[in-house]
Amino acid sequence: MQSHGIPRVAATTLDKSEQARNKERKQITQYQALEKDVVDRAELDAQVKAKDYSDATFRLTSQLLTQNPEYYTIWNYRRLILQHVFARELAADEAPSEQDAAAADKAGLPPAQHEVLLLIKEDLQFLIPLLKQYPKCYWIWNHRSWLLGTATKHLPAHSAVTLWHAELGLVSKMLGLDSRNFHGWGYRREVVLAIERLSSNGDGEKESGSGNMVESEFAYTTKMIQSNLSNFSAWHYRSQLIPRLLSSRNADTKTRQEFLDAEFELITRALYTDPYDQSLWFYHQYLMATLSPANKQAEPVLEPCGRAEQARYLEREIGSVREMLEGAEDCKYIYQALLEYSGRYLEVEAEGEKVTLEEMRGWLRELRGIDPLREGRWRDLERKMGL
Amino acid sequence: MDSLDNTSWDVVVTGTGLPQSLLVLSLSRSGKQILHIDRNDYYGGDEAVLSLSEAEQWVKNHGGDASERADSTYSHATISHLDAQEGGAKKLGFARAYSLALAPHLVYARSNLLPAVVSSRTHSQLEFQAVGSWFTITAPPDGSPPRSRLTRVPSGREDVFRDDSLDLRAKRSLMKFLRFVASYDEENEQQRMEQLKSLPLSVALKQHFGMNSTTAVAPLLALALPTVSEIETTVEFAVPKIARHLRSIGIFGPGFSAVLPKWGGLAEIAQVACRACAVGGGVYVLGKGVMNATRAEDAEDAEDSKLRLELTGGEKVTAQWLVGCPPDLPHTISTPIPSQASSAEYMAKNISIVSSPLTSLFPPTAEGGVIPAGAVIWVEVAGSSSPSVRILVHSSESGECPAGQCVLYASLRGDPSILDTAVQHLLESVGEQPTPKVLWRMQYRHYTETEQPRGTTTSEGVVMLQSLSTDIVLEDDVLTDVEEAWRKIMGERAEGFMKFESREGVEEDE
Repeated sequence: MQSHGIPRVAATTLDKSEQARNKERKQITQYQALEKDVVDRAELDAQVKAKDYSDATFRLTSQLLTQNPEYYTIWNYRRLILQHVFARELAADEAPSEQDAAAADKAGLPPAQHEVLLLIKEDLQFLIPLLKQYPKCYWIWNHRSWLLGTATKHLPAHSAVTLWHAELGLVSKMLGLDSRNFHGWGYRREVVLAIERLSSNGDGEKESGSGNMVESEFAYTTKMIQSNLSNFSAWHYRSQLIPRLLSSRNADTKTRQEFLDAEFELITRALYTDPYDQSLWFYHQYLMATLSPANKQAEPVLEPCGRAEQARYLEREIGSVREMLEGAEDCKYIYQALLEYSGRYLEVEAEGEKVTLEEMRGWLRELRGIDPLREGRWRDLERKMGL
Repeated sequence: MDSLDNTSWDVVVTGTGLPQSLLVLSLSRSGKQILHIDRNDYYGGDEAVLSLSEAEQWVKNHGGDASERADSTYSHATISHLDAQEGGAKKLGFARAYSLALAPHLVYARSNLLPAVVSSRTHSQLEFQAVGSWFTITAPPDGSPPRSRLTRVPSGREDVFRDDSLDLRAKRSLMKFLRFVASYDEENEQQRMEQLKSLPLSVALKQHFGMNSTTAVAPLLALALPTVSEIETTVEFAVPKIARHLRSIGIFGPGFSAVLPKWGGLAEIAQVACRACAVGGGVYVLGKGVMNATRAEDAEDAEDSKLRLELTGGEKVTAQWLVGCPPDLPHTISTPIPSQASSAEYMAKNISIVSSPLTSLFPPTAEGGVIPAGAVIWVEVAGSSSPSVRILVHSSESGECPAGQCVLYASLRGDPSILDTAVQHLLESVGEQPTPKVLWRMQYRHYTETEQPRGTTTSEGVVMLQSLSTDIVLEDDVLTDVEEAWRKIMGERAEGFMKFESREGVEEDE
């Protein structure tokens, strides 16, 4: 499955020569033998076999997963093995070796926990080449998440947070390779949340403003948008950050208005560059939605945000979008936006003069002409808006 | 070394320039006995790279009006040493620290050469670097002394979005044009293309895309790299070239459309190709050319009907095939390049070594992207009736000069003295204090070959390859020409042009 041009699996040149086919056949046989071996060992046959959590089994799962990371049952089994090992380490009675004790001391951790940290780090390392080859495999991200979660559970904050910071670096790199990989964006949010949580539970050390990363994350979305306007995930993330950003800045009425105006300026500039890009219209709609108190999904930006503000912005934006038509008369998103905002405007300001019903009928007609396949939808719209 | 006299070959190739070298690469696994010679004592022919001392020698051989060999592609070569005049810290490095390309070319990501380099298994011996940013230098329209303004060319939607010098309307118009360019060869744009094709690009932009400011036009002309004046650059010429640029962006990485081969450009590719031929059994001799080629009139057997070639030292060899570009083939077969041609027939060229790394010309190609080793500057010459100067800038990362310096390759179909002025404008406009200086300069003329008869009108057994154009972009027809020649030699039904398996025992990292 290919989405936005980036294949699910990193591309390798397909070689269909006889030589390559033979090689492939051998690989398949080997894989099948390997699989049988692991599954046999995993057999939870309570009477005959004890659950085999041995190191040898662990290594077999590594081999199997390297060839097929989509085999989620094996990931589950791998986690069972790891859990077993961690529990054993943490409950250990015997004294550690001198070497281990010295290393643990250096890291500022009790030896048992240090051992767990090393095992987690090793597993994280194991995942890296897999992630490069299969950047969209749910189970790899999942396992990573689990490892980090385990670290957070068993290790003190200062150790865990270092791991999480490394994750931020990794996810930034992954997003650099494919800025629209939603796994990456979702994971990023998880990472940011974890870092913030661990940094504020702290050992007394707090960054200005409770160690929150909202400013740097907001700047990150700006960067990603500038390198690819179509980045729906980046625009979405940006919209999620705004309410927290404004409260962390202690924004007053004036600041909030300036902020909203700046965001409108940004998205308008983007829309003039490419009105045919749907992700840009989604963001414009989001900004407009913050003006409606009825919309529970978009927290208001302005304070206060009443009818007057709504009417003013609706007027302004309808005017602005109307101007976008020049030179883009075949862009259906413009007409859709005009109709939607006009509808809302007439609800807010029934006697409003900015838009006439005649004009709206004209826009609907254009829409019908541009997108005849959705005739049913336009008819519904017509009825709903009473045109 | 045994004498070549009385030897017999399947193919004799004369000249080690790019076309000939690509041909021998394509034949390197065929088992054919190949003799590859070059009348120079260096590899690369017309695409050679020269160290400073080699350049001095080359200039001696190619200076003046009537050059030593009337069949030379180059003439009027001169060198100016300028670092001695400035008693400054910046000096030329060792002669061997430089690899100056006589014919530097941009290789677009979509060029047919690159897949061939991969499929022929030579890519692991080559390193390609990004040619990142394109710039224009425009003179203000009111004719005041040019306070040269260096402007970066927007190469796509995000560039247009970020460009503060474009207002909303200008962004809209530019995007409209770029969208047209992106699909100019599709059916739905046929009519519009037909309507616009003979118009000068600048006129079409104004009348049909609402781009009124002259500053918006220059970047688009730059992407087309015309050799003629603005008014002569038509939509028909420019749009496919701009399309090629846009369609090449992002193929090898974000933010750049073309690459340059490290260590001296096309000569490096030629060398690697020749090496592959040598590994395949080809024999190499420098300092030898083909003086004469004849064929027996009434041949009795296959051996007798072979071509009889006389080489520079008097050696007589026979060959099934003789391959070369016009300047290397004996006069009985091809007509020499006229060196007294009118100015329209040559490209004035100039290589300048500059005392600064010109860092502002090499910003990273994208967020977290590579640092390019090449940049392209298009310099508008005062008055739209003159063609513009094109300057390729290579940083020291290209391997062509020591760190802290750059090599500038300027070309113009016109008066050579304009080249120096253009280079000067560039150096003044990068905003460095003190203004970077030219330490060393070589100037020469590069001649286009006149129309050569090819194909069936050529003598039997002789295959003529086209020389590279004097322009700065490597065109696809170089490789298609080589393929045609390969097919003549291997037979019409031959398959697998430039497609090889990796050699046994050679480890390849995928």
